[in-house]
Amino acid sequence: MKKLLHTPEGVRDIYNVECGKKQALEGRLKKTLHLYGYHDIQTPTFEYFDVFRKEIGTIPSKDLYKFFDKEGNTLALRPDITPSVARAAATLFGDETLPIRLCYTGNTFVNHSSYQGRLREVTQMGAEMIGDASVEADAEMLSMAVEAMLAVGLKEFQLNVGNLEFFESLLEDADLDEESAERVIELINNRNYYGAGEYLDSILVKRSSREAFAALGSLVGGIEVLVRAKNIAPNSKGLKAVKRLEKIYHTLRMYGVEKYITFDLSMTGVYGYYTGIIFRGYTFGTGDAVVKGGRYDRLLEKFGKSSPSIGFAIVIDELMNALVRQKIRIIYTRKNTIILYDGEKTKKAVALAKDFRSKAKNTELIKKAEDKSLEDYVEYGKEYYAGTLIYIRKSGNIRMINLITGEEKEISKEAEQPAGKMGAEI
Amino acid sequence: MRYLTFALGKGRLANQTLELFEKIGVTCEEMHDKDSRKLIFTNEELKLRFFLSKGPDVPTYVEYGAADIGVAGKDTILEEGRKVHEVLDLGFGKCRMCVCGYRQAASYLKHRELIRVATKYPHIAKDYFYNTRHQTVELIKLNGSIELAPIVGLSEVIVDIVETGSTLRENGLDVLEEVCPLSARMIVNPVSMRMESERINDLLSRLQAQL
Repeated sequence: MKKLLHTPEGVRDIYNVECGKKQALEGRLKKTLHLYGYHDIQTPTFEYFDVFRKEIGTIPSKDLYKFFDKEGNTLALRPDITPSVARAAATLFGDETLPIRLCYTGNTFVNHSSYQGRLREVTQMGAEMIGDASVEADAEMLSMAVEAMLAVGLKEFQLNVGNLEFFESLLEDADLDEESAERVIELINNRNYYGAGEYLDSILVKRSSREAFAALGSLVGGIEVLVRAKNIAPNSKGLKAVKRLEKIYHTLRMYGVEKYITFDLSMTGVYGYYTGIIFRGYTFGTGDAVVKGGRYDRLLEKFGKSSPSIGFAIVIDELMNALVRQKIRIIYTRKNTIILYDGEKTKKAVALAKDFRSKAKNTELIKKAEDKSLEDYVEYGKEYYAGTLIYIRKSGNIRMINLITGEEKEISKEAEQPAGKMGAEI
Repeated sequence: MRYLTFALGKGRLANQTLELFEKIGVTCEEMHDKDSRKLIFTNEELKLRFFLSKGPDVPTYVEYGAADIGVAGKDTILEEGRKVHEVLDLGFGKCRMCVCGYRQAASYLKHRELIRVATKYPHIAKDYFYNTRHQTVELIKLNGSIELAPIVGLSEVIVDIVETGSTLRENGLDVLEEVCPLSARMIVNPVSMRMESERINDLLSRLQAQL
């Protein structure tokens, strides 16, 4: 029988340095969320299908991994974590009237079609503010997303911020039927403003609407686009949407992160549950957004508690890709010290390892095999990014090898130093 | 400045695209050298890079950001279903995606019978029959000479690109239904569209003025 030993398409093993770096990255991002006072929450990897059903507005249900339990309930692996957190918040904090700040890390699963090279399991880290409809909540989320990006060393990135209500106001004003509205949304999603203009001409939409849609493409940029957007806004809803963005901008200036913000009024939501402000973070080196977020004021009520909320998720795997391609080092300091010893020196080696570990040094203790040479172990140490190799010889002499610089030092038995001092030298 | 990278589908499409680019002053001398074996061509002055690839691969390069901008037929964009922005209809390479077959086959379509459909574009064919026509069919993927299928009895109809229709007529086949109109489109990577919005929008508006 042919053994099946590789992972299924779209999922993978992450190990060694990559795994260390991923965790270091997660640690740094999580630190930022904690600095903003967010509390950790873990929700289950799978839930009842209903949590992700069509009306909730996550991904199309054909892309969900679905299965049954013994009672015949349909279950689904989470495709994103926001609906789970919304469900948890609505049930666990049902009586809470003050805003709740929650953050999480977890793997999400999307059953993409084959041969597209997309991962089907990705790690997302996110934060949600439940029960706060204020401008300050919006600004806090945006600022936190920017600071998370800065914390991992990204320099060239931008957070695109839009307001769905602006686009909705244009659609309402144009008075399109469902089919033509869908067509316009598709064209605008594709950034095909010329195509949208032509299409609107062909269905004889009033001139002001046509011009408003055509102008969407130029409503991307700094604070100045909001001034222009106000002139284009066809009704009070549109105007209110722009004013909200203005207020957010003023709060963001207090945080000092406004230079990373690009307003984009043509943005439409990735997920159907978004209602007002939406944002996405972009950087070089990856074909997709690394941060996705927005307001979802109507999601929690589907789980029984009406509560305006906003949140975002960072796609860790995309962010890793971007950092690697931009050659930004993920600082990762977990270097092992290897203690290699000849069979007769077990006692001494164990004592030294204990001492190192008590000083919080990661120590890998290896008994030297008769048929392996010291060079073999040096190679091994280099391959797995160890910092130092200490070889305790049968004679009692000790050889210290710095695996990074290649520097070597032999300490004879007579000049033996107390273990503590050796620790300090490494 | 970063290079803006263009992926162009090999063949006529690439030539027409370059002609259009020349009209707006974007040239790439290196590409005119027919004997060159280079795979990637640069315009150092404008910081542009061009490469040629198989047409259906263009959306893939653009989705992953290996190319910022691509030019591909609407047929490949529909078939590949990649996450890219389709920003401009370039207007050339106009043709139609059609359901074709012998005239008698029209009744199978009318009564939504279970028929076999041969095509090089299984996604487009599936979407059309299932979601637009609401007809269950058996799809057969072929890699070329699709017109053969109804002639030798492999399938009742085919879904294929029709330009003038002369190949069809010579073989006694007809266009039975139109699926959608096709032409060359410019596609852009969603991240590039944001990060390089100034340069890309400038290019788009100048191209638009030429169409």
